Amino acid sequence: MDVDRGAGIPWQGGDRTRPAPDSHGGSGTRRSEVAAGQAWSHPWRPLAGPALLERLRVTGRPRPTVDPEFVLRLRRHLDAELATDAAAEGHGQGDGGSGPGGTLSRLSPLVVTKDRLARVLACEAHYVATEFGERTPTVPMACGAIVDVLFRQLVCVGSIGDPMADGLAALSVDDHQRGLLSWIEQLSPPDREGLRAEVERQAEGLQIRWPALEPAWLPRTQEAMRALLAGGSVELSARVDLAIGRPADDEASVAIVEIKSGARRPGHRADLHFYALVEALRSWAPPFVMATYYTKTGELDVEPVTDELLVGAARRTLIGARALRRLADGIEPVRSPGTLCGLCAALPERGPGRERVDGLGGRDTIRGEGR
Amino acid sequence: MTRAAARTVELTAPPVSRIGEGARHRLRDRLLSTVSASIEGLPPGGQVEVTLPLLRRALTHPDRPALGEEPFAWKPIFVRRSLGLAVVSACATGRFRCPSEAVVPIATDAVAEWERTGWRTFHWEPWFSGLPSGARAVVLADAVGWATSLWTAFDWTAFAQLPQIGGADDQWTCPAPRTVRLKGRSEMHVPLTAPGSVSRGGQRSETPVALVSVSGGCPEEGWVEELAYLALAAGLRSSSRPVPARVMGLWPDAGLHRTVDIVEQALEAAADRVARTVGIVVGARLSAPASR
Repeated sequence: MDVDRGAGIPWQGGDRTRPAPDSHGGSGTRRSEVAAGQAWSHPWRPLAGPALLERLRVTGRPRPTVDPEFVLRLRRHLDAELATDAAAEGHGQGDGGSGPGGTLSRLSPLVVTKDRLARVLACEAHYVATEFGERTPTVPMACGAIVDVLFRQLVCVGSIGDPMADGLAALSVDDHQRGLLSWIEQLSPPDREGLRAEVERQAEGLQIRWPALEPAWLPRTQEAMRALLAGGSVELSARVDLAIGRPADDEASVAIVEIKSGARRPGHRADLHFYALVEALRSWAPPFVMATYYTKTGELDVEPVTDELLVGAARRTLIGARALRRLADGIEPVRSPGTLCGLCAALPERGPGRERVDGLGGRDTIRGEGR
Repeated sequence: MTRAAARTVELTAPPVSRIGEGARHRLRDRLLSTVSASIEGLPPGGQVEVTLPLLRRALTHPDRPALGEEPFAWKPIFVRRSLGLAVVSACATGRFRCPSEAVVPIATDAVAEWERTGWRTFHWEPWFSGLPSGARAVVLADAVGWATSLWTAFDWTAFAQLPQIGGADDQWTCPAPRTVRLKGRSEMHVPLTAPGSVSRGGQRSETPVALVSVSGGCPEEGWVEELAYLALAAGLRSSSRPVPARVMGLWPDAGLHRTVDIVEQALEAAADRVARTVGIVVGARLSAPASR
């Protein structure tokens, strides 16, 4: 394990560390429990405080060395592939290459976000059907938005007061959340109480478990990241819940954490891979670790960043960006049966999606989660 | 060398040229003649205030160059720059180690000072003090993010003199038939003195400076003229100060920076862009339904 390479983030000795009553501490204890056959008798407990920080810091792999040549190759590949598509289809009239010379053309670029990528790769037809529709708020979605701002508050000022009041106050200064806020205000008293209870439960878990971060680690929340590709005709855009660590020089030193208030899903890792790619392209250095923290359960899903991960993310992004561009050009979307079919407003009377839903007895196969 | 150190060296390199008084006069005359032609259509009392956002919008949305006329209301985005600059300044002077350590005390001190004296250093103090804690946290977190991107952009130990962080906008009013005001807002004024040199009272205003401008998003078409515009506004503002020798633009979201060394041609291009922008704004106002 690489324990001492963390020059960018010391990760040790923060005197603001909150108490961690349910931390299960070091792995030595765990190993001895397993050896003694006692492990099954203990319920799983989420990491907290210093143990959570340690899990983020020590990924089990060496932190990647900063290799601008590798990032340049990745960028050139993406540039070349996307520029070829753009030239063939009449896009990409930007005035410069991307990367150090990148400049956004006056024409709107194709903006690729994690959500667009995930949706278009799941089913192009569903993507088109939902592209311009307002997402109808749900209680889990409201909970996700509130927990997000509470997490931000905890990282920035170190405490949360009344979680529901603080969360709603935070949403009230964000123009993008007006619709959600008004929807929450109109909730029936039982639904509102249900939302409050869940928010309070998750906020309490956050306050107990989430460790204080040393200011010297430069924690910043809701950090925007962008990378221009193919002469400015494609823009990869991301906003991460938490970035920690100074910008890397020799060795990757930034950790990126996403907060999810809903259940764990495989797609969350793909989202993180996209973030890692965007960060690598914009900073010439990848993050050393990506993690999703599930506030509902306290789970921390940690993944070290490797070259293979970045190449995979680039491949997926390329496929998604091409699909998005085809759809923008009005090309007939491909229908891919999957878990979205049961919810799809554009589900045709015949076809693979209908067959799938009918085969499942019309049941939805995915539920609206928060974040 | 770290990337921040390399960027600092690029910013503080010796000037490549110096804009003399003659060039400054020519620029003033050029602006006056081109802008006067555009502005004449406006009714008496009409005026145009040119800013960097207006230059950008006139290029991307020539049909709608003016932003919506919504009544002003404070938002976190309006606070993050001024609070972020105060945070960076406090870190640069060694009062705090880093932005997240500085932001709460600085905001708290500003509100306390306003409550004690009625003096508003930042203007947002009354609004901020009336916010519930959750909303206040959003403002503080936004400012930390903004300040951190500026704080980590440079090697602060490499500046021979502490840069001026923030400060008043550079303003120049064009003596055209209708009022045209150029406003330039830079985040930093960096003296371009050789390491070890000492600036003294009267000589200080002769020291060439580099400007630093922070923008969101990615650099867009026209960024060269836009950065030069900041030097133009600063250069026209006062004939006793040298025209800035360099302007560096930072786009932290995209991890990009761009530098324009200020020569007369760069300022001419910026002046022409101002004239075009004024023409677009005047044209849009005259064609607006209320004017018909």
